[in-house]
Amino acid sequence: MKLSLDWIKDYVKIPDDIKISRLAYDLTMSTVEVENTVDFGAQFKEMVVGEIKEILPHPNADKLRLCETDIGGDVREIVCGGTNLAAGMKVAVAKPGAMVRWHGAGELVAIKNAKVRGIESYGMICASSEIGLFDLFPFTDEATIVDLSPFGACPGTPLSEALGLDDVILEIDNRSLTNRPDLWGHYGIAREISALYDLPLAEFAPCAPQSGDPTFAVQIDDPSRCFRYIGVKIEGLSIKPSPFKVQSRIWRVGMRPINAIVDITNYVMLAVGQPTHAFDSDNIKGHITVRRARDAEKLLLLNGRELSLSSEDLVIADDEASVGLAGVMGGGKDSVLPATDKVILEIADFEAISIRRTAARHDARTEAAIRYEKGIDPERGDGALSLSMKMFAEFFPEMKVTGFHDNYPNKLERAEVDVSLDWLARRLGKRIENAEIEKMLTRLGFTVTFTPDGKFMHVVVPTWRSTGDVSLPDDIMEEAARLHGFENFEAAPIITSFTAAINQPEIDIDRHIREYLAYRCGMREIFSYPWVRGEYLDAIFGSREGMLSISTPPSPDEKYIRSSLLPGLLKSVSENARFFDEFALFESAQVFKDGDYGCPYDERESLPSQRRNVSGVIVGRSDEATVLFRRAKGIVELLPRYAHIESLEFGQREKPAWADAVAWLDIISNGAVVGSLALVSTKTALACGIKNSAAAIFELDIDALKPLPSRTNKFEHLPEYPRTEYDISMLFDASVKWEDVYRAVTSKKGPEDLVRGISFVSEYRGRQIPEGKKSVTLRLVIGSPAKTLTSAEIESCAGTVIKRIKKAVGGELRT
Amino acid sequence: MKEKFDSLRISGEERIGAAKTIAELQDVKASLLGKQGALTDILKEIPKADPSVRPEMGRMANELKDVFTRLVDARAEEIRLAASAISADFDLTVPGLPPLEGGLHPITQMCYDLNDTFRSMGFEIFQESDITSELYAFDNLNFAPDHPARESMDTYWLAGHDAGRGPERLALRPHLTGASVRYLQTHKPPFRFVYPGRVYRNETTDARHERAFFQYEALVVDREFPFSAGKVMIKSILSKVFGRDVPVKMRVAFFPFVEPGYEIDMGCLVCGGTGCSVCKHVGWIEIMPGGTPHPNVLRAANLDPAEFTGFYVNIGLDRLVMMRYGVDDVRLFHSGDLRFLRQFN
Repeated sequence: MKLSLDWIKDYVKIPDDIKISRLAYDLTMSTVEVENTVDFGAQFKEMVVGEIKEILPHPNADKLRLCETDIGGDVREIVCGGTNLAAGMKVAVAKPGAMVRWHGAGELVAIKNAKVRGIESYGMICASSEIGLFDLFPFTDEATIVDLSPFGACPGTPLSEALGLDDVILEIDNRSLTNRPDLWGHYGIAREISALYDLPLAEFAPCAPQSGDPTFAVQIDDPSRCFRYIGVKIEGLSIKPSPFKVQSRIWRVGMRPINAIVDITNYVMLAVGQPTHAFDSDNIKGHITVRRARDAEKLLLLNGRELSLSSEDLVIADDEASVGLAGVMGGGKDSVLPATDKVILEIADFEAISIRRTAARHDARTEAAIRYEKGIDPERGDGALSLSMKMFAEFFPEMKVTGFHDNYPNKLERAEVDVSLDWLARRLGKRIENAEIEKMLTRLGFTVTFTPDGKFMHVVVPTWRSTGDVSLPDDIMEEAARLHGFENFEAAPIITSFTAAINQPEIDIDRHIREYLAYRCGMREIFSYPWVRGEYLDAIFGSREGMLSISTPPSPDEKYIRSSLLPGLLKSVSENARFFDEFALFESAQVFKDGDYGCPYDERESLPSQRRNVSGVIVGRSDEATVLFRRAKGIVELLPRYAHIESLEFGQREKPAWADAVAWLDIISNGAVVGSLALVSTKTALACGIKNSAAAIFELDIDALKPLPSRTNKFEHLPEYPRTEYDISMLFDASVKWEDVYRAVTSKKGPEDLVRGISFVSEYRGRQIPEGKKSVTLRLVIGSPAKTLTSAEIESCAGTVIKRIKKAVGGELRT
Repeated sequence: MKEKFDSLRISGEERIGAAKTIAELQDVKASLLGKQGALTDILKEIPKADPSVRPEMGRMANELKDVFTRLVDARAEEIRLAASAISADFDLTVPGLPPLEGGLHPITQMCYDLNDTFRSMGFEIFQESDITSELYAFDNLNFAPDHPARESMDTYWLAGHDAGRGPERLALRPHLTGASVRYLQTHKPPFRFVYPGRVYRNETTDARHERAFFQYEALVVDREFPFSAGKVMIKSILSKVFGRDVPVKMRVAFFPFVEPGYEIDMGCLVCGGTGCSVCKHVGWIEIMPGGTPHPNVLRAANLDPAEFTGFYVNIGLDRLVMMRYGVDDVRLFHSGDLRFLRQFN
């Protein structure tokens, strides 16, 4: 919303020592967000009133003239092509340095002294469109020069001063106004300013025109939808422009002047926030009635469009048909047209939600609808009536009111609130004196009475704040706090009671996992969007089944909501692979499924499956795939130890669609599959745009993991007697599994067994190893809890181990 | 003769002690004990000396030889221990070997910093799901039935779940505040918790606007909690994030779920408050909304608004991280681009 400071000053005299920057700051702190203050006159810099003294022909051009122009004690020659030039005419002269728009189009350019067809011209005599004034000085012939003669300004007067355009426009963020219908309009903001600085506020004189016609009446069929309807029939009018000052004000805040009648209705709306409407009364048959539309009733608009109405729409109708959509817009039949000489002026109040719905239904959020849908108090009609009648009388001295009816069936009660001042002080953390509270609230139109002991106050809310805005003690608290100034409250300590230390393992598990992956495993956390493209799903899962989707997605092919973190990770892999050969990424976020509906909180709700997942990918050269896989496996293997959760196992139950044919594992916890670990298949990688890299991925359902109540480390006594590491290399069939070798060593461990540990060292195939075989090196830790072993005892232990392995899986010792 | 031995001993001890390297020491040793050495020279004179002093001279010469040999050995050991294990021209300016790469997303870092701050003030951490119903996203929060935020041009409703109203209409959560009510419903007051999470809005994206972004909500509900105590929360957040006191102001603002409500601005750190393009030349940046939970919100959580009050702030984490590091495009956070992410550790 744009507001004119000049206009606001009609209602509240703002002292000169309150600078515009301070006014904007104070309003922003306490009332509404002033986004910008614009020095309106600045655009007319270096433009002055000039008086044409003499017009001479241009020696080199038929259509141009040389105007000897007085620009204030100095007569200059200006070349001009205007068709309405005349000696003695006052014109707008843009001097060098002024910013103009050539022929009213394109960018602003600075005027320079220049030769026009060989003759030096001092600046330019302007058409209205060249200096942004077309709306105030419209023309049909492009070569029409602005005629300033009627303004009576002396040559040399700055243009903005001559036209009264020295103003400041306040630009208000509309979002900060949604709950304050009273602030729509200059008067509402003036009221806040009067309260902020304790300044008197102008009032509208009460006004009740005498109806010439006792039969004139407006009828309201549905008082729950139309609270008040003031109809005034006015005759003796004509279509003519409104006074320049009125046109200029309307225009400065963003509306276009039309004619005096329409300008009055717009001016009143911008002044007091009350929409008003004028119907050509010649076309009203019988009485005005406010009623619900009939289903499929038609309303013809001025632009020729025909609306099909529903019984949810409220219309203004005469005895024959609907003539306008109440609170939204007028129809074509009764619009003010060039021949109009009498009107019915409507100043009405309609229920907010129905206006909002009607405006939405017919896609017509007009200026009136925007105001009505916020909730306007019916008392505001009085100010609107007063101002309207004053303006009609001023612009049309011969006008007559021939009908007047104020139908006001649904008076708005002023809200009443009782507030405990102790409560107020406790909630604010500061006691504001009763006298200050009373003064602040009274300035805003509230009526305040205190109980004799001063402990409670009874607050009667003004009607303009009683439309739902202020109804609770909490609302009064806000009024007190904002006027006292939020910045005038000192920070106070938070006082609390302590019951127990915070212990939230189910929350902390996510952080433990992320920190483990980031800091111990060297992976980088990413975030990706939850919506994914269908082609990613095809590439990764081979199906789009069971996926939730968005009804108005960011783009048509990004409608699916992820059921796995893989699409985001793989997309990121393909993008990062352009810059890096080796890297590791992970993401932790929720994934979704169209199933398992329910809600742990509220039985009325039925929410789909939503589970926290974590997924990581390690990317490297294609020929290192097995190393990448083993690194990913190692990360998953150690994750329970570092993140302090119950242990995980591996198995092969069902290969994920995206996984390599061989290198894949299910991750299992307590017998259930909670995730998977695999190399990405060549097919999926290529479909995701990953060409020359291999990627090993794991994904885990965090919600399926059970955090342990504390750290899981276990202490063992340090060995009393020395232990020996003993490496064994054996040749196995290529199909032999490490798992089986490991079991052979560990499963039959008797009490005298001297093997304290066994670990995998390496696997080798290639030169010196026959086809179909592999060499595996393992490392034993051998030691006794009772004595230092001799080398014979160590060799004997190793020999037993080798025998056990041979018995279990075959194989030969390599020497 | 004795004087000769004494002066040789003194100068010999000095020279051995002054040797800096093994090579130098070898030279000193040779000059003392070698074939042309000083001691050898003295020994050569013994045959010419008076027979009565020869044994004494021989004894002194052997003794000095022992002394020098011992000193040379000791000095050699000293030099060996003091010497570097590697070549003397090792280039100290070559960078060290890096530890593992890897790290958390800058928004996660910010989130954990704040979690630590709030935990230290006795706040629990709350987590909730991304998909919620209109009941919790809007109805419970005192949003008017026709509030524009409920429309599909603002909120991502789920296909097939967007026809009904209230509990039947499902969306990707447009803000966190709705699920805060879930916490209130399932815990016993007083409450003190923070709630980090990602929210979703149907928006046109640009450098300052995202469809998915992170909020961090902090909520206190207690029998007594004055508005002015809330200022402590705000100051704690900002001083933790920026490592120093940041100027803060609160101004009136309207949000359906708080009364009173305000917008919290912080002094622009880019220009120090004098005005720049980042703060749109006003010196302040809108950083978070806050307020006292609206009585209707407390009622939705089965709390009596006459008994309970509280304080609420909702921080835009993306904006905060942008301010912390001067990031100028919010879309980078969801880019997954390592060139961006590796800048934050």
